[in-house]
Amino acid sequence: MMSIIEPIDRDVAVGQGLGDILGICEELGVSDELFPRILGHAPGYAEAICDAMYQAHALGNVDHKLKEIIRIQLARTAHDPYFANLRSKRAIGAGLDEDRIDAGSGDFENDPQFSAAEKWALRYSYLMYRQPEKIDQAFYDEGKEHFTEAQIMELGGMIALHYGMQVFMRTMQAGPMRGPQS
Amino acid sequence: MRSASAKRNGLTEELIDEGIDHYRESTAFTEAEKAALEYSELMQFSPEKIDHAFYDRLRKHFTEAEIVELGAFIGFNVGYHTFFRTLDFYPMFSPDGRLVSQEESARIYGTRPVSHLHGALARAVAEAGQQSEEGAG
Repeated sequence: MMSIIEPIDRDVAVGQGLGDILGICEELGVSDELFPRILGHAPGYAEAICDAMYQAHALGNVDHKLKEIIRIQLARTAHDPYFANLRSKRAIGAGLDEDRIDAGSGDFENDPQFSAAEKWALRYSYLMYRQPEKIDQAFYDEGKEHFTEAQIMELGGMIALHYGMQVFMRTMQAGPMRGPQS
Repeated sequence: MRSASAKRNGLTEELIDEGIDHYRESTAFTEAEKAALEYSELMQFSPEKIDHAFYDRLRKHFTEAEIVELGAFIGFNVGYHTFFRTLDFYPMFSPDGRLVSQEESARIYGTRPVSHLHGALARAVAEAGQQSEEGAG
């Protein structure tokens, strides 16, 4: 069994108009097909949510590799083994490695490999679901020294959407469809 | 903020409060509604308790399509409301339907989300009355 809610068949998903979403899954690797095929029980949700997650994670004006580190940090916070073990093929192809991913979930504040902007973004996601009361006016003012307001909204929206779906997928007790680097 | 559609269909502040604070012992909700409310509560506060047995309970009341719809909707809200909290903004309209400034909205609703029955409605009426008096003066 793949997950508590069984995914719909691939052919059914394609028949529901989710072919483009499944194509993105194959191309990017985040998510794999399991997530849209679970959401495919409610096809309108599958298309809207998967598209929004792709827009937030893989498009926009913030470095995709940084957003990939943030996405995995969030999934570890959510205790979701499914999203935490998926990797963006684009980010890996652009040089992101497991050491840097782990560093983003570790003592990133004192890690010289991250710029001040990257540290702020990593702190933003780290605090969001642990100590949101610390994300105040002063915190956003510091963020504006490194990012435009559009970029901050891009980061905040991505953090919120991906974390929310990670919390949901945690309850599915699912794992990735494929092993690492396969 | 409230859904105008839900209110038109009979949702009241009393039922909202009941669904948040006392749904388990309430007679206002069906067993299906109670299961959905528990799903939401656990997703936010104790997701580790949402296991096979819990989903089997949900299946007694909902189809898998409905469960996925509920789960994704709840997850979406769990994610976004914390983000929105950090942005420190308030509804554009008061509980009595007036377009209000962010400052007035903050005074009416307060900085912590609580029942509208615990002050927000009364504060909205008071603010409207004060503005009416100032306008007349």
